[in-house]
Amino acid sequence: MKKGTKTSYLLKGTPSALLVLGAGFVMASSHDIRAALGMGAAVLVALLLSSIVVSALHKVIPAYVKLPAYLLIITGFVSLISMFMQAHFPEIVDMLGVHLAALAVSAVIYRDAEEVADHNGEATSIKTAIVTGIFFTVVMVACALIREIVGNATLWGKPIAFMQEYKISTIAGVFGGYLVLAIVMAIINKITKLHHHLDEEEEN
Amino acid sequence: MKLLKTFVILLVIVALFGGAMYGLNLYTGPIIEKNNAGAANDKLNAVMPGGTGYEDITATLSDLPASVTEVHKETSGLGYVILCTAESSYSTAPMEITLGVSADGKISGVEITAYNDTESFDFRAKDPNYLTSYIGQDSALADVGLVAGSTFSSTAFKNAITEAMGILIANDMIAAGVKGDDQILTELIATVAPGFTKLTEEAGIGNIQKILTAENGTGFAYIVKSGDATVLAIVNAMGVCKVYNVEGADVTAENDGVVTEVTAHAATKPNKFTDDLTAKIGRMMEGAADITPVALDTFNTVVSAASFTLDGATYYGFYARSIGFHQMDVFFVIDENGAITKMDAKQFIFDEEYFMAFGGMDVGAYKDGFVGITGETFTGDETIIATATMTSNAMKEATQDAFDAFNALKGGAQ
Repeated sequence: MKKGTKTSYLLKGTPSALLVLGAGFVMASSHDIRAALGMGAAVLVALLLSSIVVSALHKVIPAYVKLPAYLLIITGFVSLISMFMQAHFPEIVDMLGVHLAALAVSAVIYRDAEEVADHNGEATSIKTAIVTGIFFTVVMVACALIREIVGNATLWGKPIAFMQEYKISTIAGVFGGYLVLAIVMAIINKITKLHHHLDEEEEN
Repeated sequence: MKLLKTFVILLVIVALFGGAMYGLNLYTGPIIEKNNAGAANDKLNAVMPGGTGYEDITATLSDLPASVTEVHKETSGLGYVILCTAESSYSTAPMEITLGVSADGKISGVEITAYNDTESFDFRAKDPNYLTSYIGQDSALADVGLVAGSTFSSTAFKNAITEAMGILIANDMIAAGVKGDDQILTELIATVAPGFTKLTEEAGIGNIQKILTAENGTGFAYIVKSGDATVLAIVNAMGVCKVYNVEGADVTAENDGVVTEVTAHAATKPNKFTDDLTAKIGRMMEGAADITPVALDTFNTVVSAASFTLDGATYYGFYARSIGFHQMDVFFVIDENGAITKMDAKQFIFDEEYFMAFGGMDVGAYKDGFVGITGETFTGDETIIATATMTSNAMKEATQDAFDAFNALKGGAQ
């Protein structure tokens, strides 16, 4: 494997395009670092478990029933994760609200199951799921850091005294959320292009 | 066959996840239930330290006042938590209060969950320790005062606490706190001298234990030692005194010494209300003659009264000092038949920028609206000034007090 390539389906493709698929839960959880970490963990575990099961069963499940079968698997895991979080992280579940349950129909997880796990073995699926999960967690935490500190003048829910006079409430709102997400996407795009450019140079 | 396979696959997936969810629910169900109960109890535990569980007993209680919305009993016997409201003349909506009362009748905690009075009168900002001063008090609230500069709001709050604790006492759930004579007599002032607003306290001299001065100049209240007893003496701005015992009975006749002592003290702090009223009558009723001050035994907002003649008819002038957004100075001329001949005030609106609609108010028409009203025909609606509720209420109080003073005067001049 050449350096920088085939690390995962995530980095092979366009991460910012993938980010658009997950914009819903990224937006819903990027107002607070605790929510971002909670959603990140939920996404990671849902991706990982559904990828393992799908990659193990993809040969058994007939092609014409893959969509409902995969959705059932993903929904099942998301429900189990949601139940576990309600028991042990009720505050985070309150912060995430309906968006945690909406992970069951997330295009990101379905895409991972359908495009990766369905065509590869467990090892590749697990690796991709972990990279994708970590990628989203990092993006959500980065957005949450900006929105919480700049928009709310808080960190981990605790007020930052010297920031109180300088906070920009718009950043904590929906408009600010999209703005921050756009900035993060632009940075990711830049890094990805640079990454591909280096790969091409190496290949030549 | 294909259909059967599809069905079996989907069924197996559903069965597996259904089983997994059932198994997980056996583990998480009790935890989630405990979490949910804990969240609901957080608000109650904030005023009942150590509380473990609560039972809503609101429906089982009798004589529940409108201000009490919920009463919860702590299941291990620690005490009770009451959700109640308070409303003052500065309230845009009721203040919401959570009060914890331990089983021995002492306040274990109190919180304001929604403060809806005018922000500048927020007693929590004026006295950060005010809420803490309630903790440990019994229903007598002996060591709890009011907050200077936020008298109406803090009075409303204190009254709500008293009313809430009264429910527990009335239902034999806690014992009533015992009030001292000083506290009973001080609380009596609001009943016997309703016009004495925003009292400031100072130490007394001689037999006078405590002196309370009404900020609106309506008079003085004194807690006085009289032999073995303690009495309340009140002196209005016209120099008339009355004495009450702890039962609230008028004992003026038996306390000449007290009357002499407190009226002498009040005389050391003279006012110009009679001079102001005399001058005002001269301006309001051109040609008024024989202006004679009258001392009345009313203890409302009327600070001065006088009779005078004009064109052979007798009239009476009254000067009332009620409090609206700020101090009001309102003058009334009432004829022999009890009808208002004229009404005027030094100033109706004190902050015209705040009361935007005032710009369109016809002051002349407003004053003329009072002419001809008698105590019998007065409804209170005549005093309404759009967007200025506090001023309207103050005008209503002043007008009613003027009629009461007129009735007292006609009942027999002092």
